[in-house]
Amino acid sequence: MGEQRDSGETPHRGPVRPASADAGGDGSAGGGGRAQAAYDGGRAGAAYGGGAAGPSRSGRAAEVVSRSVLEDVLAGAVREVKPDEVAEGRAVAAFTAARDAGAHRARTRRRDDWRPREKRRTARSLKATLSVFLASLTLGGVAVAAIGAVDGQDRAGESGGHRTPSAVASTPDRAGTGVSGSAPATPAPADRPDTAQDTEAHCRAYEKVAGHGQALDSTAWQRLITAAGGATNVGAYCAARLDDTTATDAPGNSGSQGNAPKDTGGNADKNSGKGKSGKQ
Amino acid sequence: MGQGAEPRRVQAYDGELGAAVARAQQGDEAAFAAAYRLVQPGLLGYLRGLVGGDAEDVASDAWLEIARDLGRFKGDGAGFRGWTATIARHRALDHLRRQKVRPRSAALEQDVLELAGPHSTHDQALESLSTEYALALVRGLPRDQAEAVLLRVVVGLDGPAAARVLGKRPGAVRTAAYRGLKRLAEQLGPAEGVTDDDPRTLGEST
Repeated sequence: MGEQRDSGETPHRGPVRPASADAGGDGSAGGGGRAQAAYDGGRAGAAYGGGAAGPSRSGRAAEVVSRSVLEDVLAGAVREVKPDEVAEGRAVAAFTAARDAGAHRARTRRRDDWRPREKRRTARSLKATLSVFLASLTLGGVAVAAIGAVDGQDRAGESGGHRTPSAVASTPDRAGTGVSGSAPATPAPADRPDTAQDTEAHCRAYEKVAGHGQALDSTAWQRLITAAGGATNVGAYCAARLDDTTATDAPGNSGSQGNAPKDTGGNADKNSGKGKSGKQ
Repeated sequence: MGQGAEPRRVQAYDGELGAAVARAQQGDEAAFAAAYRLVQPGLLGYLRGLVGGDAEDVASDAWLEIARDLGRFKGDGAGFRGWTATIARHRALDHLRRQKVRPRSAALEQDVLELAGPHSTHDQALESLSTEYALALVRGLPRDQAEAVLLRVVVGLDGPAAARVLGKRPGAVRTAAYRGLKRLAEQLGPAEGVTDDDPRTLGEST
């Protein structure tokens, strides 16, 4: 295929003449022949994607012909490469030197990773995983961080929700430290009675936080406990509060925990749990 | 049109290339030489289109780096071609940058272009169009088009790999390759007498 239209010699400075394939490219072992087979036939005009295929099919035949000719010719550039023993020897020497110096034990950088597809899949799934993780933090942690963030806020639900992503990101399951951490951080005004929304948020978060000792020390918790009339009453108090609102579906995780306040509530637990599910 | 043919052939050698690279990474010298022979032609063709006469020098630099960093590479044969093309490209860009300081004689390019001009029929073009001439034309393209064409056609990378080498989106590379080829075709001059010919005929004239 290449014989017809061949080309000048490999040395670029040589005259360019329509000679038949020069001896080097012809049947010489190794590089030349193999390269030809490997890279032959650059007639993949349409392989360049829809952009190329569209116009060519619309009838610019001359152009298509020229392009495929061109591709063949360009692919011929590889056919012309005469095996250069000297250059090869130099490269192999560099390889040996590097190998013996232990350079080949170096780690793979991102730019060195050319593994097919599964690498891309990993990158994509990493992002997916990360976003799901953050989403679940947000959902589960909204209530938790809302306890801290709510203080000094006018509205519990909305702004608490908006503010949480940053606060929450650092508090996966360390709800205790997170809450007690954020509580002092939030401007805690002088005594402001909980708004109704505050209390609901607190109640929902209670389920999350119950069991994490430190969390219950925060100011917000203290308010809740006071409002409920004691720690043991929180469960029932919350049940009553939450039932009063239309939105009984607690966000994400709280709901999945079965709407049952955890152990710390003690006596009130079972009753409140049942009461809640009954209402639903 | 046989567009599937090229990738299939390349892939056949990619298997061999991948195996050679893996053995070389274990220390096998002969395997490294085999990988060199498989990769160098494409690399050199790419570099000729980028830097012209200094392609061999740039390729040498590239192979030093390839040989040194071989242990870092992870991937198959096709990936190796992409990885080596990236290294070669960096060396080429360094070279071009240095050259801006020391202007290279443009006379050489002109000689090449004059010796084998475009012809009006594609048969004649086939006969007399030299690779050197074509590469000289490619060098005259805007660089993004030149690179897209070279990586796809000469190095034989697929769309995503070429895009990665260039650090661009695949769509942009596709467009650049198309435009580059189109412009090259225009520079070759209209090919008369082929208006209604089925391009497939040409494609299959192996």
